[in-house]
Amino acid sequence: PSHSYTGQGGQQSEDYESEEQLQHRILTAALEFVPEHGWTAEAIAEGAKTLGLSVAAAGMFHSDGSELILHFVSECNSKLSELLQKEQKLVQLGEAEKKPIDEFLRDAVEARLRMLIPYIEKWPQALSILLLPRNIPSSLNLLTSMIDDIWHYAGDQSTDFSWYTRRAVLTGIYNTTELVMMQDSSPGFEDTWRFLENRVADAMAMSSTASQVQSTGEAVVQGLMGAAVTVSKAETSRAVR
Amino acid sequence: MAAARLCRCRCRALLSRPAGAVRARRGLAAGPEMHFGFQTVTEEERREKIYQVFENVAKKYDVMNDSMTLGIHRVWKDILVHKMNPCPGTLLLDVAGGTGDIAFRFINYVRSVRQRQLQRKLKHHQNLSWQQIFESYQKDEFNSLGDSQVVVCDINREMLKVGKQKAEHLGYSEGLSWVLGNAEELPFDDDKFDVYTIAFGIRNVTRIDLALQEAYRVLKPGGRFLCLEFSHVSNPLLSRLYDLYSFQVIPVLGEVIAGDWRSYQYLVESIRQFPPQEELKAMIEDAGFFKVDYENLNFGIVAIHSGFKL
Repeated sequence: PSHSYTGQGGQQSEDYESEEQLQHRILTAALEFVPEHGWTAEAIAEGAKTLGLSVAAAGMFHSDGSELILHFVSECNSKLSELLQKEQKLVQLGEAEKKPIDEFLRDAVEARLRMLIPYIEKWPQALSILLLPRNIPSSLNLLTSMIDDIWHYAGDQSTDFSWYTRRAVLTGIYNTTELVMMQDSSPGFEDTWRFLENRVADAMAMSSTASQVQSTGEAVVQGLMGAAVTVSKAETSRAVR
Repeated sequence: MAAARLCRCRCRALLSRPAGAVRARRGLAAGPEMHFGFQTVTEEERREKIYQVFENVAKKYDVMNDSMTLGIHRVWKDILVHKMNPCPGTLLLDVAGGTGDIAFRFINYVRSVRQRQLQRKLKHHQNLSWQQIFESYQKDEFNSLGDSQVVVCDINREMLKVGKQKAEHLGYSEGLSWVLGNAEELPFDDDKFDVYTIAFGIRNVTRIDLALQEAYRVLKPGGRFLCLEFSHVSNPLLSRLYDLYSFQVIPVLGEVIAGDWRSYQYLVESIRQFPPQEELKAMIEDAGFFKVDYENLNFGIVAIHSGFKL
């Protein structure tokens, strides 16, 4: 399967898929074995078996299962994008209300984290594998593009430094909520969602505090300038007399 | 005129005999010219000579391997099996596997993976009743190899004999079978095996393309082809040291330890005649394998080629 013809009459199309597409199919099939085997080559081997391939096909991937995790993360991100796009369409068509920013962010992060629930037992293992130096570039890439997506659909069109601060803040919120979720045993993960709500509220408060600080700072500077001018004028007038 | 026509007929008759027939007339170049080390021989002669080489060295094969490579061949074979990373239930065909080195390592690996699997299963089964535990033992769920099997195939009876003796001596009996067969014409059905390995054997095969095609045939879809073989060193300094060692030391070791200088001269020469990494990769791709890749060990002294039947 090295040609990538598409639609060569249903029956033939399986022979003509590319290697990447075949690997994609194997990884998707392997996901259902993750709760049992973890993010390992064994799960990939079981996935290959369901597709009618030999278990040796798992040798195509790295033996620590990192490709499986990256595949899963990228699939979740695509699902989130689709979800946000659908919501945006509804708002544009006028069938839904535009959410305020904090609610939007909260819902987006919650939707994304809920996708982890079927694999939550083995997710800590996945996080540790994603932190291996070899995997950091790809996992960081996936994380930043997801955060970017969320802000884009939230309507962020900033072109100044706040672009960076917004993404940094949301990345922090997402990561900390993910970690809280790992050790959350409350029913329906309500502790996690409450934590998320508080963090988003904090972030909103912080941005308004920041603008308050800025205007206060400006006021203080103006006051000092005025005082300096008054003092220097008083000096010159005394000198003149 | 008539004589010339007669001569031509005779030539055609000779050439059309089946490949198995011995070509008696050495004067007539009755087969394609091939290399045997640095000599030039016909295809049939090469097969015979190689058979004799391994018949002679069979008993001292393992000892010579250790002394020639200073024991490093064990590490190379370990790396091959680690790269394979077999899970329990894998069916392995080890071609030219003679004395069984790869087969034994495979069994050890699968056994330890299986033990870990069983431990994990038992942890989950802490709350079973005695009845349930008894039943699971009945079902033979706890077999130590998890249905993995290895078939060792070799063309040389002597090598297989030595291998069987070693297996008995080391206590390997389960999941192991020994078959006499030619890599160019394997006595197995299509789509049977999960992994096909050939360690330090493909160099001795006369028609490498046929062996690769047979490998493709007997592998299941998704199956993996792994080849461990001496290859070409690109680093010039290392290459000179390696040549020095190969041509000066190894035949001498062969004479001293095994009493057979010629066989080891052949060995060293055949390494030089074998295609380099990229060429072998192209040949494997020609046979129909995908994701073909190679990994150099020790700067190219040895290389592991891997391909998948997709």
